[in-house]
Amino acid sequence: MKTILTVDDSPSIRQMLAFVLSSNGYKVIEASDGEEGLALAKAHQVDLVLTDQNMPRIDGLGLIRALRALPGYRSIPIMMLTTESSQALKQQGREAGATGWMVKPFDPEKLLEMLRRVLGE
Amino acid sequence: MSFDDAPVGAPKRYFDKHFKKEAAKLHPGEYFATDKDMVLVTVLGSCVAACLRDVRTGIGGMNHFMLPKTEKDPLSPVSMSARYGTFAMEILINQLIKMGARRENMEAKVFGGGNVLKGFTMNNIGESNASFVLDYLANEKIPVRAEDMLGVHPRKIYFFPATGKVFVKKIMQLHNATIVERESEYNLKLRDAPIGGDVELFK
Repeated sequence: MKTILTVDDSPSIRQMLAFVLSSNGYKVIEASDGEEGLALAKAHQVDLVLTDQNMPRIDGLGLIRALRALPGYRSIPIMMLTTESSQALKQQGREAGATGWMVKPFDPEKLLEMLRRVLGE
Repeated sequence: MSFDDAPVGAPKRYFDKHFKKEAAKLHPGEYFATDKDMVLVTVLGSCVAACLRDVRTGIGGMNHFMLPKTEKDPLSPVSMSARYGTFAMEILINQLIKMGARRENMEAKVFGGGNVLKGFTMNNIGESNASFVLDYLANEKIPVRAEDMLGVHPRKIYFFPATGKVFVKKIMQLHNATIVERESEYNLKLRDAPIGGDVELFK
């Protein structure tokens, strides 16, 4: 069973993601900001990270940069899931090492399709 | 609905002569956040408006939305309604955070959800909107300091983010159908559009 780390400061979003992902065979661990996400990623090697951008302490871009510096996270998929849709921010995401960018509100089917694709399933 | 064509628009700005302040008037689907001493105005029928504010900085904002509830929408934690409502709240919260507000300092005042849209055969849409916004805020641990919801009358709301003060005027008699027409148009637009943003893979 693959493990996905979801990082979002909104409990409502974390609950929705946990519902979609766990009912489709993924194990989910949750963090409420980038700092907690980074700590959890260090403690548990996960298969994919799904992160929000606007969060306290460490934002999504900061989390991606920090994760890409860790040996276990150089090549695993890291997806951004955010209300932000500007090209400038997407470009920063690409440069930080994001695998892809999804704009909220998310469509559960599209989300699953994309995750399966980047996980090579 | 994709984010790019989300009806978040730019609310109309003007100078309110009565309150002697810069004002923004929000229509259904719009939101507005500010760190200035302004008044945010909206007229609600069955839609709801959440007035959010960081009590320490006075940065605050308002949204105006309804859930795209249809008979086809299944009861699910990720129903179209739940996802759209969550998006309408989150986009305002994010804008406030970007302006310097902190989630833990936020409080809310919520309004609307009247049963004013005649001719809707589904469950009372105002009630669904009202219970969604209260459930959402409870889940997000944002305290609700005041509410005036449900009933059968439209409301005009004046929110002053700098102080948190709100004036509510109940509209006892509608002189034209503008409120109902705007909400009906918004409702139809929501029901026809898929709720899902763009996806882009970088590699």
